[in-house]
Amino acid sequence: MTFPSFNLKKRIGTKDELLNKVIIATASLVIVLFFLFFFYVPLTRILKFSFIEQGKLTLDYFSDVINSPMNRSALIFSFYQAFLSTIICLVIGLPASYFLAKYEFRGKKVLINLLTIPFVLPPIVVLLGFIITYDDKGWVNTIWQTISGSNNPLINIFGSIEGILIAHIFYNISVIIRITIPAWENIDYDLIDVAKTLGTSKWKRFRKIIFPQIFNHIVSASLLVFIYAFNSFAIVLYLGQVRFQTLEVRIYKEMVRSLDFQSGTALAVIQLIINTLIIVFYLISEKRTRKMAVGKEKSLQKEKISFRRFNTGKKIVVFISIVYMILLFIFTFAPILAIFIESFKPAIESVSAFWGYRQLFSTEYNAYLHNDPLRMLLNTLWFASLNMIITILISLSLVFIIRNKFQRLRKYQTSRVEGIISYLILLPMATSSITLAVGLFLQFRTFSWFNDAVWIFIILAHVLISVPFATRSILASYNRIDVELLNVASTLGASRLKIFAKIELPLILKGLIVGGIFSFAISLGEFGATNFLVRTEYGTLSVGIYNLFGSHTLQLPAAMASMLILITILCFIMIQRIGDIDLKV
Amino acid sequence: MVNLEIHDLSMRYEKKYILEDLQLYVEHGELLVILGESGCGKTTLIKIIAGIIEPEKGKIIIEGEDITHVPPQKRKMGYVPQAQVLFPHMTVKSNVSFGLKSHKKSKEEIKEKISWVAELTQIEELLDRFPSEISGGQKQRVALARAMAIKPNVLLLDEPLSSIDATGREALALTIRRIQKETETTTIYVTHNQEEARLISDRVAVIYDGKVQQIGTVTFIDNSPKNYLVAQIMGLPNVWPVYYIEETDENTILNTTIGEIKLTKQTNKKITGISISPSSFKPSLEKKSISDLEKSHFIEFKGEVKSMVQRDERTIRAVIELEGEKFDYAKIDVDKEAFEDILSSDQKIFLYVDPSKVIIL
Repeated sequence: MTFPSFNLKKRIGTKDELLNKVIIATASLVIVLFFLFFFYVPLTRILKFSFIEQGKLTLDYFSDVINSPMNRSALIFSFYQAFLSTIICLVIGLPASYFLAKYEFRGKKVLINLLTIPFVLPPIVVLLGFIITYDDKGWVNTIWQTISGSNNPLINIFGSIEGILIAHIFYNISVIIRITIPAWENIDYDLIDVAKTLGTSKWKRFRKIIFPQIFNHIVSASLLVFIYAFNSFAIVLYLGQVRFQTLEVRIYKEMVRSLDFQSGTALAVIQLIINTLIIVFYLISEKRTRKMAVGKEKSLQKEKISFRRFNTGKKIVVFISIVYMILLFIFTFAPILAIFIESFKPAIESVSAFWGYRQLFSTEYNAYLHNDPLRMLLNTLWFASLNMIITILISLSLVFIIRNKFQRLRKYQTSRVEGIISYLILLPMATSSITLAVGLFLQFRTFSWFNDAVWIFIILAHVLISVPFATRSILASYNRIDVELLNVASTLGASRLKIFAKIELPLILKGLIVGGIFSFAISLGEFGATNFLVRTEYGTLSVGIYNLFGSHTLQLPAAMASMLILITILCFIMIQRIGDIDLKV
Repeated sequence: MVNLEIHDLSMRYEKKYILEDLQLYVEHGELLVILGESGCGKTTLIKIIAGIIEPEKGKIIIEGEDITHVPPQKRKMGYVPQAQVLFPHMTVKSNVSFGLKSHKKSKEEIKEKISWVAELTQIEELLDRFPSEISGGQKQRVALARAMAIKPNVLLLDEPLSSIDATGREALALTIRRIQKETETTTIYVTHNQEEARLISDRVAVIYDGKVQQIGTVTFIDNSPKNYLVAQIMGLPNVWPVYYIEETDENTILNTTIGEIKLTKQTNKKITGISISPSSFKPSLEKKSISDLEKSHFIEFKGEVKSMVQRDERTIRAVIELEGEKFDYAKIDVDKEAFEDILSSDQKIFLYVDPSKVIIL
């Protein structure tokens, strides 16, 4: 056997390490520049508007903002409705997730997936579905009036808190259900058996053993729901009317309607601080949940639903649970179904059922839409595709900086860049859509090409919104890679690039695709930032649907919404086929 | 066939030395077992040799060439990690050919090498399967084939049998031995299990405290373990640590977990423990008379029989729980014919040992 000679100089052996460093440096540079230009510089512009008056530091705008009754009530209302939404979501969602965790039945996985669909639906679509289902002449009130013979509607969704709450519950129940199913499933039943042998009472077992095990999951899920509801925009903008506004709505109104940039940015800063706090709490709670999730041998005993074997008490419980699940299912799908039906329902008799869809190709409504519907559909798809590509590139770079397994191979320490970058992306995560858009607008509006290039900024806003979700998805699959695989590959002679192409990339592909499709779906339905930035011909379907809310027939917006629903559900099915959706930020 | 030298190797993890000035020499074509308890730095050592971890200090030399700073890609080490890590998204065949492709071998050569190594490791039938479709033992064979395919300079095996079920272990160990002999590959085999060392090693290096404590053939170490810990790691029966030593004019008194042991002889060696061969115990059901004891100065132990296993046609090995505050056990070999019908479980028994038979560690 011949022996290869190592005519290498002492340090030349680190060629791959060097390449790895170059890759990381390039990725870091791209990330830092991206966030610097499109997030941090715009953020300083926001701070400048809110803190500086004629070159001097001032807190006047903040005191003005807080002293304004309108803003103060928006701040209070944001907390109030988010709190109520969270509590009601928990009350409705926890029994459902327990049922889904405890019982085995056919189509269970499909049911869980179906119940998740609202989460990925565009807010404008949900809004339209709610109007069709719950407004004065909507299905629910018509049915109620027919049954009760009363002339008064059962629910009034406009200018009332009910409408907002119902919409937030509709949106967020899936978050509670999906996060707490594993919590119920992972309860360590050995502990309960041990407690039984020690003679603990049923209530004490729940309080001391079951509850602590699910508590962290509940906290995580609640904080997520809270932050989604706290930053709600489209739903509150339309249903809340002038009476009820969230901070997000106030920022929008100050910026767009009153052109009061100082108040708008001051509110945005307040909102950002609150969001950052909630996100930090959330991350702490997540960490704790993960710590607790280890080393459980015996988990929840699943039962098949079988009425023959159950005793009477159990039959009643299961029967009530099934009715409950059916009601939940109807609640979830009524608005979606309503949109499809509405899209075929002409407002006047002389018009055909397909009028709405045919209108997609006409220019009749361009006065409202500033554009033809087909172009809006194309804009939507085009923005979503570009957003997907940019988001994937950025998220992939982020994952490689934060968790570069290769770099850790030869040295035990973790690099400082990782730490800095993981903090760097925390703030964009906590920034609301409107604030992101406000920052971009204030920073770049003075450029003469701003109006023509506004589509770029719409996409950039979408990227900033999607990156946390996509990063999470890729990170989850990257974390599952065994470092030893990379070790073995390098001893077998594979270069850094080859290890990436042949091992890391194939193993994170699922997470990459899921993250990509998810960011595509986010962009499809994004409304807040898009609506804020939009100029004439760059409108998306969401913006178009919103502009048509006031028109005499909802058939056209329903047709547009149906298109969005179909594409979104298609995305969702693809995600479910490939991997799993991650509802967390 | 290459030889491997390691000089003054040091590595710290979170400020604690896991390897400290370690020296090691591996002969051409030998199978050296590195034996040590978990956390003693065995895996770190093997990763440093593979080039995965860079040592803080020290040199690794192959055939006179310093490779300390050569990257893993250029070292041609056959690394088989502890967990069975096959590339999950590739077939067995692609796993095996991964190294060959990385070294840019021709198609014919790759084909030829695959069939050679597949036959060598007996995985011919598995080539088209995915790692998820084969058993643990088979996975380890594939990992071995993957490492052998590149004709490595040194084969590095990290606890290769640790996740294999008991029945497959010996077969796999012998397969490793056969392949190593047939290909004359210099091999380092890391384990905490002395049985494996006994089964396949040419030489054994016992390590703890970040150093190689003793190196040699199994028989050599068995007969003259350097100290108490080496004897314990080698799994020798009846080894006990010595806490402190009192020396008088005539005697040396060793204070051990099993009581004081009075020796007449003087020793210059640093005493760390004692060992008594199972055949050196003389069992008796009754306390011998004082006069007998005085004559011979025998050491006396009291205890209870806890288990008995037949060793061969003529001897029984019994485990005796010695009387005392701690649970200490002595393994003794007794004549089958004389004791088979007399000994029973929980029976009180006296053991006598000639002090000259006590081995000082």
